[in-house]
Amino acid sequence: MSSIQWPFPDLRAQISSVKARAGDRVQSWARKRQGSDPVTTRLRSSRVYILPTGVGMIFGFMAFAMLLGSMNYNNNMSFVLTFVLVGIGFVSMHQCQRNLVGLELTFAGADPVFAGQAIRFRIAVTNQSKSARYGIRLHATGTSSDIHDLAPGESKVFILPVPTTRRGRITLDRFGVRTMFPFELFRSWAWLHMDISGLVFPAPADDAPQPPPTMVAHGHRQHDARGEEDFAGLRKYHEGDSPHHVAWKAYARSGQLLSKQFAGADTSSQWFDFGAIETNDVEERLSVLTRWIVDADRTLEDYGLRVPGAEFKPAHGELHRRNCLETLALFEGGRS
Amino acid sequence: MTARARGTDGSLLASLPWTLSALMIAIAPHVPFLPFWITGAFLGCAAWRYMIEKRRRTLPSRWLRAALALFCFLGVLFTYSSISGVGPGSALLAIMAALKLLETRKRRDQFVLLFLSIFLVMSSLLREQYLWSLPYMIISMLVIMTAWLRMSAGESQSARQSFATGGRLLMYAAPLAIVMWVFFPRIATPFWAVPIDTSQATSGLSDTMSPGDISSLSMSNEVAFRVSFDGAIPEPHQRYWRGLVLTQFNGRTWTGRDPSISPGALDEIEVTGEPIDYEVTLEPTRQQWVFALDMPTQWSLSQTFMGPHQQLARSVPIEQRVVYTVRSHTNYRISAELSNLFRDWYSSLPEGSNPRTSELARRMRDVAGSDRAFVEAVLQKLNRENYYYTLEPPPLGSNPVDRFLFDTKRGFCEHYASAFSVMMRSVGIPSRIVLGYQGGEVNPMGGHLIVRQSDAHAWTEIWLDGLGWYRIDPTAAVAPERIDVGASDAAFESFGRAWGLTAPSRLLHQARLAWDAIDAKWNEWVLGYGPDAQNSFMEWLGMDDPTWRKMMLTLILLVVGLVMLISAVLMLRYRPPPKDKAALLYQRFVNRSGLAPQIGETAGVFALRVADKGRLPASAVDEITQAYLDARYGQNDEAAFERLKTAVSSMV
Repeated sequence: MSSIQWPFPDLRAQISSVKARAGDRVQSWARKRQGSDPVTTRLRSSRVYILPTGVGMIFGFMAFAMLLGSMNYNNNMSFVLTFVLVGIGFVSMHQCQRNLVGLELTFAGADPVFAGQAIRFRIAVTNQSKSARYGIRLHATGTSSDIHDLAPGESKVFILPVPTTRRGRITLDRFGVRTMFPFELFRSWAWLHMDISGLVFPAPADDAPQPPPTMVAHGHRQHDARGEEDFAGLRKYHEGDSPHHVAWKAYARSGQLLSKQFAGADTSSQWFDFGAIETNDVEERLSVLTRWIVDADRTLEDYGLRVPGAEFKPAHGELHRRNCLETLALFEGGRS
Repeated sequence: MTARARGTDGSLLASLPWTLSALMIAIAPHVPFLPFWITGAFLGCAAWRYMIEKRRRTLPSRWLRAALALFCFLGVLFTYSSISGVGPGSALLAIMAALKLLETRKRRDQFVLLFLSIFLVMSSLLREQYLWSLPYMIISMLVIMTAWLRMSAGESQSARQSFATGGRLLMYAAPLAIVMWVFFPRIATPFWAVPIDTSQATSGLSDTMSPGDISSLSMSNEVAFRVSFDGAIPEPHQRYWRGLVLTQFNGRTWTGRDPSISPGALDEIEVTGEPIDYEVTLEPTRQQWVFALDMPTQWSLSQTFMGPHQQLARSVPIEQRVVYTVRSHTNYRISAELSNLFRDWYSSLPEGSNPRTSELARRMRDVAGSDRAFVEAVLQKLNRENYYYTLEPPPLGSNPVDRFLFDTKRGFCEHYASAFSVMMRSVGIPSRIVLGYQGGEVNPMGGHLIVRQSDAHAWTEIWLDGLGWYRIDPTAAVAPERIDVGASDAAFESFGRAWGLTAPSRLLHQARLAWDAIDAKWNEWVLGYGPDAQNSFMEWLGMDDPTWRKMMLTLILLVVGLVMLISAVLMLRYRPPPKDKAALLYQRFVNRSGLAPQIGETAGVFALRVADKGRLPASAVDEITQAYLDARYGQNDEAAFERLKTAVSSMV
């Protein structure tokens, strides 16, 4: 006895590829039709599409079967029931579409992430009407947000997580907003093509070599009339720092030993040099640099960055870190 | 399947109680018809499933569910010995709902349960339609829709909001449903044979008559049919509602023939005088007999024919309430010539039964001298001697006619009709028994006549030379008030007396008549809205020569119009607020700033640009921007609006 073979083994793959191609075609048509959207876009009814869901199809078949039954039995009460269901179908179609029309969507930024993490695009959705909107969800290829309801006048930030694989600027070419409210008989949706992008830093290397040794620069001591130096900030306590310079108040607060830094005082600083890393792979070098920057930033060390075409003097702080990492993320030198 | 996959996490708690309520409301009307164990199984499964969800337990295993399913299916098969028809169908639906509950894990699984509830509501409507069917349907749809919204809407919607939304959508759907209901073309003939539900007893007249077997006649007040007359309502003694005719007697029991067609039967009727036109709304009898005033000559009910003995019957049992118009003549003659063969057949009696009656009849015939005088003498005897009309006569043993005529002398219509017929047959006069209804109560509120099961009656027809078949009601000879007052009025009087409460029961009776009037109108206008009623309604609306095409076209146009209207209402509901006064004030500030906000630029960003340019003081820009944002989007927008007003006017 041989088992019966399904005669079309590739059918499913074929169907899904046809579906995907048709979907692409439709989407590029929609894009052409709508053009690019501003950062804040209000949904017009002409761009909200609607189709029945699977449940909606079953519902339709059920109503049809009930109609046949009512005709056969000539039963007026079941006619009423059938037509109430048909009426609910019509009403929920329009309700479903209206649930989206007039919503205002605004791109509200995305925090940079390291390659491999999911970047979370924030999109604010505002319901300016006097009626609540239910069951709204944003989606893009391979991802979707949580479902939220919007009270009258309410604005909520939807988060659309998009996985990243490589550094650089990631753009969200297109995302959709959809709803199946009420009854999930119909799905209405709209595509938006906003200028949405986010920054992806290189992934920090896991097994980076030791960072180059810390250089101690001896600054000029500029004593003023009172014999005090200018306080310049705090850095992590290193062995050998004078106990006078330890910021005891900060220690009491945070439990971390920090030393006060004074302008003109001795500073330790590191130079992270693109050229000094012993590999030829650009991406690997960027990865290593990223790791060093992340670590140095965590320990509040000063660090400088030198890559072909850009140089940042040793410093620390959020802005410095951001500038350095952005330079690495958008580094073009090694790309062919 | 692992225990993990069967586990519940309480996520259905928001919607499950509503789904269970929807199912229970849908099953409720079936409960009197369902075997006890099915109702029990459903309630058990519902409670079990709810506890599983509440205590975060696991669902029963697949094997247990399969075993339960098989067991229940066999149970239904065993109980009904069939799975088609409304009875077993709804039993199966109830069982499916119970079992589906036990495998409902995800929110979306509840769709199946809600679809099942809709089918259960539908099948209860197919089973029987009452005045309360519509409110029942509306309530059950409300609960089903609320459950549906609980299942599919987002997380923040409260049960109350779901209920309100469901109600609102139902309100939008109502005009659509009404238009479709009115204009959807009704067809007269079914597509497929409606399965006959054998699980239900027939109500109404039985096909045979055995006076003496039943010692008391049930006084059911159930409505048999209602009649609206075009003209005046005939007098009580003319209201003989002809049903079926019994022709054979075996000494105990009268039997008739199955319904059949007799093409000549109608031609035998000769009428004189004015016809009576009326409309009958017959409650389902699950029998084939069609009732009409003695004697019908035209009728509108489809598939209905006159058989031998002038009895009307339909070729399919009356499973649904039907409405038909009839034309009758109370002055008629059935001028059939009877062949000798038929004369013998209509006067045959079993050998040796009821000998005393036969003996008496022969003696009286000899004394009377003619057939007509003999008939008169028999009626006189019943009238003069101590015969009593009672609904609770003593039982009669063997030779029941003898015992009744000579010993007990107590009985109701069947006893008298049977005794009279036997006496006629004993002397060779052809006779037959007609079963039907007599009388009926006039409902002054509805202007119609109510004929109840308690108005069931039996009378006789005898064949006399030159006269043909002639109606004789021997009960009228004994108890003329039965014919003039009617059985139900008589019953009502005794009811009132029994309780000693004349006035309240009079009020009660009035209330019942009012209810009956509403019920009758509902049946006539709504439940009985069939092809004929639809045609005449369309004509009343002004449609010439209504056809299904015209009705369908009207339906589509009206539905499209209504849908556009609903769409407009929804658009108004969801429209963004108009540019308010705050926006107008803000526009003054924008104009003064000398800059134009870019598309998509928020008020805050715009304020930065304005402050940067320095044409307006930064403090004023901040104040105006903040007040504007508060006025449009904030909580305390009244106060913010005032601030905006002062800030903008002081800007100059």
